[in-house]
Amino acid sequence: MIRRRRATFHRLTRLSVVRMAVPLLVLGLGGGCTNNPYPDADETAKVLYVAFSSPPKTLDPQVSYTVIDHAVTGNVFDTLLEYAYLERPYRLIPALAAAVPQAQPRADGRVAYRFTLRADALYQRDACFGIDGSGRTTRPVAAADIAFSLARIADPLVGSPVVDTFERLHGFKEFSQRLLAARNADAAFAALRPDQQYARVGGIDGVRVLDAQTVEVELDAPYPQILYWFAMPFTAPMAWEAVATYDGRNGRDNLADHPVGAGPFRLARYDRLSRIVLARNDDWYGIRHPEWQAPGAVYPSTGEPGDAADGLLAAAGRPLPFLERIEFRRDPEQVPAFIKFMQGYYDTAPILRESFDRLVHAGALAPEQVARGMELEKTITAGVYYLGFNMDDATVGGAAGEPGRALRQAMSLAVDADEFLRLFANGRGLAAQSPLPPGIFGYDPSYRNPWRVADPAAAAARLVDAGYPGGIDPKTGKPLRLTFDVYDTSARGLLQFQFFVEAWKRIGLDVQVAASDYNRFQEKVRSGAYQVFLWGWVADYPDPENFLFLLYGPMSRTASGGPNTANFADPRYDALFLRMRAMENGPERLALIDEMQRILEREAPWIPVYYPEDYALQFGWLANVKTPSLSLPYYKYLDLAPAPRAARRAEWNHPIRWPAVALLAALVAAGGIASRRRRAGEVAS
Amino acid sequence: MLAYLARRVAWSLATLFGVMLLLFALFFLVATPDDVARKALGDKAMPEAIAQWKANHGYDKPRVWNAAAPLDTMLVDHLRRLLTFDFGRSDADDTPIIDRLRAGLGPSLSLTVPLFLLGVLASIGLALTAAYLQGSWFDRSTLIACVLLMSVSLLLYIVAGQYVLGKVLRWFPISGFDPTPAVIARFLALPVLIGLAANTGQDTLFYRTLFLDERSREYVRTAYAKGCSPAQVMRRHVLRNTLIPILTDLVIEIPFLFTGAIVLESFFGIPGLGAMTVEAMQGNDFATLRVMVFIGSLLFIAGQLMTDIAYTLADPRVRLE
Amino acid sequence: MIETHHLSNAAVVLLLALAGALAWWLRRDPTWRALAARLWQQRRVPLFVVGLYLLIGMLDSITWIGGRPSGAPQADLVTQYQPRSVIDRLFPADFRERSYSAPLATTELSGDLPLRFPGAHLLGTDILGRDVLLQALKGVRIALLIGGFSGLIAVPLALGAGMSAGYYGRRVDDAVFFVVSTLSSIPTLLLLIALVMVLGRGTLQVCLALGVTSWVSIARIVRGETLKLRELDYIAAARALGAGDWRILSRHILPNLLHLVAITFVLLFSRLVLSEATLSWLGIGIDGSWGQMIDQARDELARDPIIWWNLSAAAAALFGLLLSVNLLGDAVRDALDPRTLRG
Repeated sequence: MIRRRRATFHRLTRLSVVRMAVPLLVLGLGGGCTNNPYPDADETAKVLYVAFSSPPKTLDPQVSYTVIDHAVTGNVFDTLLEYAYLERPYRLIPALAAAVPQAQPRADGRVAYRFTLRADALYQRDACFGIDGSGRTTRPVAAADIAFSLARIADPLVGSPVVDTFERLHGFKEFSQRLLAARNADAAFAALRPDQQYARVGGIDGVRVLDAQTVEVELDAPYPQILYWFAMPFTAPMAWEAVATYDGRNGRDNLADHPVGAGPFRLARYDRLSRIVLARNDDWYGIRHPEWQAPGAVYPSTGEPGDAADGLLAAAGRPLPFLERIEFRRDPEQVPAFIKFMQGYYDTAPILRESFDRLVHAGALAPEQVARGMELEKTITAGVYYLGFNMDDATVGGAAGEPGRALRQAMSLAVDADEFLRLFANGRGLAAQSPLPPGIFGYDPSYRNPWRVADPAAAAARLVDAGYPGGIDPKTGKPLRLTFDVYDTSARGLLQFQFFVEAWKRIGLDVQVAASDYNRFQEKVRSGAYQVFLWGWVADYPDPENFLFLLYGPMSRTASGGPNTANFADPRYDALFLRMRAMENGPERLALIDEMQRILEREAPWIPVYYPEDYALQFGWLANVKTPSLSLPYYKYLDLAPAPRAARRAEWNHPIRWPAVALLAALVAAGGIASRRRRAGEVAS
Repeated sequence: MLAYLARRVAWSLATLFGVMLLLFALFFLVATPDDVARKALGDKAMPEAIAQWKANHGYDKPRVWNAAAPLDTMLVDHLRRLLTFDFGRSDADDTPIIDRLRAGLGPSLSLTVPLFLLGVLASIGLALTAAYLQGSWFDRSTLIACVLLMSVSLLLYIVAGQYVLGKVLRWFPISGFDPTPAVIARFLALPVLIGLAANTGQDTLFYRTLFLDERSREYVRTAYAKGCSPAQVMRRHVLRNTLIPILTDLVIEIPFLFTGAIVLESFFGIPGLGAMTVEAMQGNDFATLRVMVFIGSLLFIAGQLMTDIAYTLADPRVRLE
Repeated sequence: MIETHHLSNAAVVLLLALAGALAWWLRRDPTWRALAARLWQQRRVPLFVVGLYLLIGMLDSITWIGGRPSGAPQADLVTQYQPRSVIDRLFPADFRERSYSAPLATTELSGDLPLRFPGAHLLGTDILGRDVLLQALKGVRIALLIGGFSGLIAVPLALGAGMSAGYYGRRVDDAVFFVVSTLSSIPTLLLLIALVMVLGRGTLQVCLALGVTSWVSIARIVRGETLKLRELDYIAAARALGAGDWRILSRHILPNLLHLVAITFVLLFSRLVLSEATLSWLGIGIDGSWGQMIDQARDELARDPIIWWNLSAAAAALFGLLLSVNLLGDAVRDALDPRTLRG
């Protein structure tokens, strides 16, 4: 009995060991033992690999507003104008339009811009163009398509986020209202196609289609920045056939998933949650008409002084685009995505705080990384991160008068932006003195805001002026309690907020972080129940108006739902803003901006913390990269060499097999020993 | 017995109804229709756009009680649409939910099914052997190993797994997903391994207790006395008789195979139903969320009902008065 | 004026009193005495470890305001007005550096600036310069709260529901089945997220949410046991003698369920503490918990030089507690489960 038991014991032990090993081995062998996430066939193709973390919300150009949406729509939809790739300061060049229009003054202070489209610029091939039964798959872009896009922006059903800006168009608001009224009055009307509805209601008065190629846009008042909006996908020409076909019914795609544009790339595959593929659009005017030498279809030959040395002008004059395909792959967590970049599976990546020290030494790429073929690109974003005060609040706001102002200034003196950058951004960024970042007219690199130095002693003195000596609130005898309202509950976010809390703790203020989800936060903001908050703003276009409007009184958040979350309302500032915003850049405008900055300096509704600096990493096989500081599409300018990439990937990604072999050997040995013992046991008894 | 079954079916339907009500209540405690609209349209949306959006999606009606037309409320809509399987479109981006379900089902199943099967194989195998060899070094080391495995957080397993196996040893891709059959195993290996590590400990201990339980019964001693070999006893009597509680336990798991492994999918970028559910929750996408929960609970309740019926048919002692 | 830390102090005293009362009530019962003896003999080390954790947790819950903070030059002025526990007072008041430093180091990690407390940080400091050992110690109380307090919410709920369902059967059983099924069908994570969003982010709220979502599985087991117990002869005898339902439930059934409760409580404890890390990752965890430390530190593994002490401290503290609790739980189950005979 005992002998049998021991025999079965050994057999069972080996069996279970085998049973355990089987799942592991199955996985290992089935895995194919490689960490390459891409098919082998793509090794030799000019395919760009980029990671994205949050999925796009919509690819409807009149609606899309997030960075990943834009990465697709900006490359699929060509616009009337675009930015010269290499030039700084930014300059507009014609794209689908033949030339950049000049402002033409009209009666009653109105201003008009006349756009002439290139003839024979076709849309990408798509089945929707066969809607009229003709069986055609494409057609030229028409001026009526521009009018259609602008009408869509005005259509409440579309839900465009930039209605505010386009209300400056003459007749824009009235068109919206007529449309709404007609829909409510007549169900038959509401069942018509959108383009039919717009036509019946008469279109926007200020948008006139003069002929097949010419459209005129009229504004109620001068607004030179409107031209920048014609470089954004919001105003890209939209085919009525696409809107009519892709309504999401009867198994048809939704317009938000099926963009039909006239740009250098087309959407080839859209797995929203995992993989997005852009492929070369062979119907693009740049490919079909290289003889035009259109500025938007040819690699530029002018740029900034340093560009030639950086090799950015090597491709000058060559026709665009160079890439065959762009593959966006979803990687929701930053660390795994970065590791894949280091393994060569992404061509470009933002640098991670955690790996910074290994990769960058004294502001330049470490020699080992340079040897691997890596390159570092630094760009200061046209954006600013700031702490804001709710100026409506009784303790920290304008209502508290002089003590409130002294309190804000004291809190500003306690915040050490350089320290923040060192801890959370590896020093990447520029400590901010004012709301205007570098690259924007009005930015003065020599300006020093007296309240933006880290000086705890001066802060303590200012607190005494504010009536809170040592931070103690005389009413309670304890440190003054303030709330810091945030909606980012991630680990990184909480650490950053804690930094500021600690800074204010040092001067005796007890600031409590009130973290909630986004909805709750927006509620608090809408009802005015907040004191201190952290916010960021990146420019839509390179004009100071795009920053200074964030502090314009009538745009106050609580009062009118505008973006002025600080609810700052200073009558002198507002008056200056109105004068400055439509001016051309020049000494007069600069003087106004300087005066506005001085008001902001004294009132301190914001504590500007820093302008972020992007360190983008890429490998040497990727060429022509000059990351703009605004969100501009630029994939058509990129080029890459697949052979060196494949070679490097193979070099860097040998699987380390010895642990598996060792484990297998150990298992076999254990099994062997067990069976030898069993046989010995059997022989013995 | 028929009365018992009828009662069970009735209560199951009531449970389904309860789930739908609870979901409705919970969601609208957390977010208002305005919140949902703003998440979909973006912060800068105009009030007219928001009102229009709410009208399109049926969120402009009163929530529970409408004095004018008692059946024209969001609650009734919600119940009706779920019961008629009219899933509609996502609140976040207007894609038909049924398409998203179809797209997400494959990736979810490709992760949960291997994880489930391998897990059952591993834990039952280990537990059976340990129970049979109770008291031996194998049993003791299995116990300790299981307790060790149980004492580590899933998050730590993921972090360590990605670091060691993906980065240092470079055996598997750190994250990502590609459904082509040639390469799919590569992407699933790491999450499956990690899932196994996190779950096997507790399951093995549980099954071991069950087997020990059964083994201590009198009829097992009788079987030994009869002359059955220990292996035969384990296989023929113990395993077979514990099959019912084991199966009950396992069948409960099956609905959740379809709803996806939320944490694993999110960390490894697998576009399955679990990731979709979390996204719906965080994006205030009520339309998608309720469909996910409804399907999950439907499967769960159906599963419970079926196990109840099977139990009743198989074991006459279970039939309650 | 009643402050939150007064409540926390009172809660600790109450819990101790409850534990003491429970021990007193069970001291005569032979099963429990045997259990205690067995644990002492076979699982002395885990017993001590768990005892140590309990001690730390208790010390961290006794807080008061006042006392002189040791005057390092940059001592912040706010801390002296905030309640500090016994554990806090074991360390200097403003025990912080500027940023990372390695365990027992004398200079900062990046650059060579001298530390304010050279060599005093046994487990180093995190990105904001906070001492890692202190953070790990303060996480003990939170872990005990998550496992213990949530468990204390879940267990009575489960007992009540499960016993009623098993004992009364029929309608009550169906009603409980209804509630249990409803709650089980909704993915736990969703329920938790919804509850925490509604109740707000705070220790008590998260514990409440965890308790409310975890009683369901225990109730099922309690119901099964109660069903079996109900059919026992002596229960029928008691009923024949005229004992009321309440008496039977409290005197006869409940004591026989306690062993089951003990086993499931222990299992629940580890499950809850482990799940807190996931909650932190989702943003609804408790501030200062080990789960949050792990979440904050996991990106640091990819750093170079690698920052390992933050993650290791939290992971080790978590592991130490859970391993001990699981080992004890295993022994408890072996002792109290009368069906597990030695082979």
